[in-house]
Amino acid sequence: MAVSAGCDTSLSEHLWPYTGGPDRENTAFSPPDSEAVDLVSHCLNRLSFGPRPARQIRYSPFQNKPAEIDRHPPFYRSCDYQRLSALGETPEEAVSAYMEEQLQPGKIDDSLAEFALRRFQTIHQPIGELFEYQEKFLLSQLTLVTLIRAVVSERQLQEVMVQFWTDHFNIDQSKGDCRWLKVWDDQEVIRQHALGKFPELLKASALSPAMLWYLDGRENIKQKPDDQPNENYARELLELHTLGVNGGYGQQDVAEVARCLTGWRVQSKKSGKFLISGLGQVEFDQHLHDDEKKSVLGQIIPAGLGEQDLDRVLGIVGLHPSTAEHLATKLCRRFIADEPPSGAVQSVAASFLRSEGDIGQTLHALFQTDEFQQHRSNKFKRPFNFLVSALRATGATVGPNPESWHLEDQPLCDYLLRMGDAPFQYPSPDGYPQVMIPWLGTLLWRWDFALKLSQNHLPGIRIDRQEDLEAHAGGAEKLLAHVFGRQADQTELEAYRQSENGLALALASPAFQMC
Amino acid sequence: MQVNITGNGDNRRTLVVVFLRGGADGLTLVPPVGDSDYQNQRPLIKVNDRDIVNLEGEDRFGLHPLLEPLLVPYKEGQLAVVHCVGTEDTTRSHFEAQDLMEHGGKNTAGGWLGRFLRTQLDPGEQQGLKISPLSAVALGQSIPESLRGAPSATALESLNNFSLGENTTSFTQQLESLYRSWRMSPGLSEAGLGTIQAMKRIEKLDTNDYQPENGAEYRNHSFSQGLRQVAQLIKARVGLDVVSLDLNGWDSHFGQLTVMGRLLSELAHGLSTFYRDLDRQHMETVSLVVMTEFGRRLYMNSSLGTDHGRGSVMFIMGGGVNGGQVISNWKGLKSEVLEGPGDLPVTTNYRNVLVPILKRHRATDLSAIFPKFELSPLVDL
Repeated sequence: MAVSAGCDTSLSEHLWPYTGGPDRENTAFSPPDSEAVDLVSHCLNRLSFGPRPARQIRYSPFQNKPAEIDRHPPFYRSCDYQRLSALGETPEEAVSAYMEEQLQPGKIDDSLAEFALRRFQTIHQPIGELFEYQEKFLLSQLTLVTLIRAVVSERQLQEVMVQFWTDHFNIDQSKGDCRWLKVWDDQEVIRQHALGKFPELLKASALSPAMLWYLDGRENIKQKPDDQPNENYARELLELHTLGVNGGYGQQDVAEVARCLTGWRVQSKKSGKFLISGLGQVEFDQHLHDDEKKSVLGQIIPAGLGEQDLDRVLGIVGLHPSTAEHLATKLCRRFIADEPPSGAVQSVAASFLRSEGDIGQTLHALFQTDEFQQHRSNKFKRPFNFLVSALRATGATVGPNPESWHLEDQPLCDYLLRMGDAPFQYPSPDGYPQVMIPWLGTLLWRWDFALKLSQNHLPGIRIDRQEDLEAHAGGAEKLLAHVFGRQADQTELEAYRQSENGLALALASPAFQMC
Repeated sequence: MQVNITGNGDNRRTLVVVFLRGGADGLTLVPPVGDSDYQNQRPLIKVNDRDIVNLEGEDRFGLHPLLEPLLVPYKEGQLAVVHCVGTEDTTRSHFEAQDLMEHGGKNTAGGWLGRFLRTQLDPGEQQGLKISPLSAVALGQSIPESLRGAPSATALESLNNFSLGENTTSFTQQLESLYRSWRMSPGLSEAGLGTIQAMKRIEKLDTNDYQPENGAEYRNHSFSQGLRQVAQLIKARVGLDVVSLDLNGWDSHFGQLTVMGRLLSELAHGLSTFYRDLDRQHMETVSLVVMTEFGRRLYMNSSLGTDHGRGSVMFIMGGGVNGGQVISNWKGLKSEVLEGPGDLPVTTNYRNVLVPILKRHRATDLSAIFPKFELSPLVDL
């Protein structure tokens, strides 16, 4: 089937890699054919933001002119299900190979995502330079980049874990200088360590200027003998980031941790006396530090250690058994079930401790559990994941609304705001909920989105017409099998066939809300 | 599990927040009676004593004559005024003061309404599920900072934005059959059917067909039309918890009489028509709050206007408010009372006005809604 990118005038700017239907000769489209979600589809649902169809992709890395793009030879990508299935002789071998691949994101070629994001230079600015931008512009850019990466990147598990850690170390950008500093935190803390070592992630977060703002660490000082430390960060460090609320610490430990962490400051915009180059820099001020002896969870931290108190505290809590259990519970809730099975939690926690907090090895253990392999289609997609999976399922070309950079004018951001799942906008430090119940009120906007997407009514976003998608897939049954990760049942198939908006109906259906 | 959008007969309460952006002058809205300092400092832009609308039982203040329509709810005990109210912010900057007020604190993440709605939502408690797709609505083009972080927040300019669009009847029917036959997660099936129910209710609301009750007639300006839509949504019981709408343009540095005249009239007409339309029965479950980021300086400037000040007024209507009174720790306008360059001081923090209202809307965790602030809520509100 011939697809010509150049004739699509609505994408005349060609800022985005154009994706069209597959070329039959190069990419056969063979979706799942079992009645229930098989292991390969299951892994695509959980380790990625959902399966994509086979596509022909045209873009020119050097020129954006339509003529150039037409000259540049297209390349072909088979559908995710098919590519994955081919990674091994058996489904078990195939998913095992996929996990290995995804756990090493640095080795995955992601040039298409890099191409799609090349215009978003702001997010790579040095920390001080960020303050040169309007904060609303930065939020809009960061949100779009997050969405586009989730849709386009081949490093899907990395993106899934970025979402997980963004919630775990939640920072609402609307607080103080977080408006600028969250951009840096996203890049240098969350992304840098998403599949790395937990202790390193924890330390990076502790010293992230955005976190020092968000949980008031920068105001936690001891200058005069009667200065009371600000316990905000210390409490959340223990309750949310490490040990968990029943992790065996008391109020005294919170107070002692707060004392240990006194003296870390951020050069702020408000103070006005710093050069741009200094803005957002974190520094330790010995004069604002409580350097007396402390005791955290029964361990003595001697007087006079200064800024090393931080390492001592993180050393005590970072790989604590309670931390292992807390993180294992949250990971199992994310990847297995809203009520995580205790057997899986125990083996994941053990792996976390054995590997000294290696996130990749911990996840590897999780994916090997029977509980992970057996709990299929039982997780409700939160709004962000629903949007991204719909865009992936339809092979959408995704870019910003060319008319305006404002957050509210970006259709995807607008839907996320309506559904209460806009990235970096969750107000309290516990991060967005990972379970089904709080999200059940969002169905109307999901259905609306499914309709608008299938009708190409979203500025900046294009998909093929339903009949073309169907033809590429080789028929309605195959298209639905691709969307649902299993064969459609009789009710679903009939509804699709009767509907004028069959594709929208499939995306709005209960089956597609689950993963 | 309850379906998350409830029909008639539920006990949902709706909080309507009207923000007067620009810094509305409390001394014009609710001027002091027989106050020579006020009269002398504002020779050309004062409200004359003889024009001030008398408030029964209140000898310190009256209403601006253009606010006379508000006498009805006031006399019926459904409208209370709080004077000398505001934030602790002293920068007198619109941005800083609005930011503080809407976030519910300095350097606080998310908005106070957003946190209010979040604290209503307990993921572990299935019966606690209350958030509907239309739980929080901002009438206008964008979501205000006060609603940041809400579990769902929709900015809309018209009720018609609520539907799935035209010609979607059969689409909705097909969805209904898919959700009805969904067996794998009953919660999802119920939520889907509940959403369809609500959608049908909303689709029946033709804004042009809406008949306000009790002879209420909304004028054709955007504030009144906004309130008309709010009234319609409330009566349709679509699961509205919070609505926010703005009335902009109060920054009266120049020609204050002209600037404020139109706005006073729009405000009074909108609020009184809304009150009339909803009547006391509906108002029982509705609270309406009017707030502004700061008041204005006592003395008149050289352009017949006033500059940014501190304290202003808030109005609270409906919702079981203890109305028919002006609550104020009033100390007059002598220069020793004034703050900074000559501003009405803030003697009541706005949070202490909002807390009793939020309690009536079943807020539980007030320190989460207004963190890092020692609350001492107004007791007689």
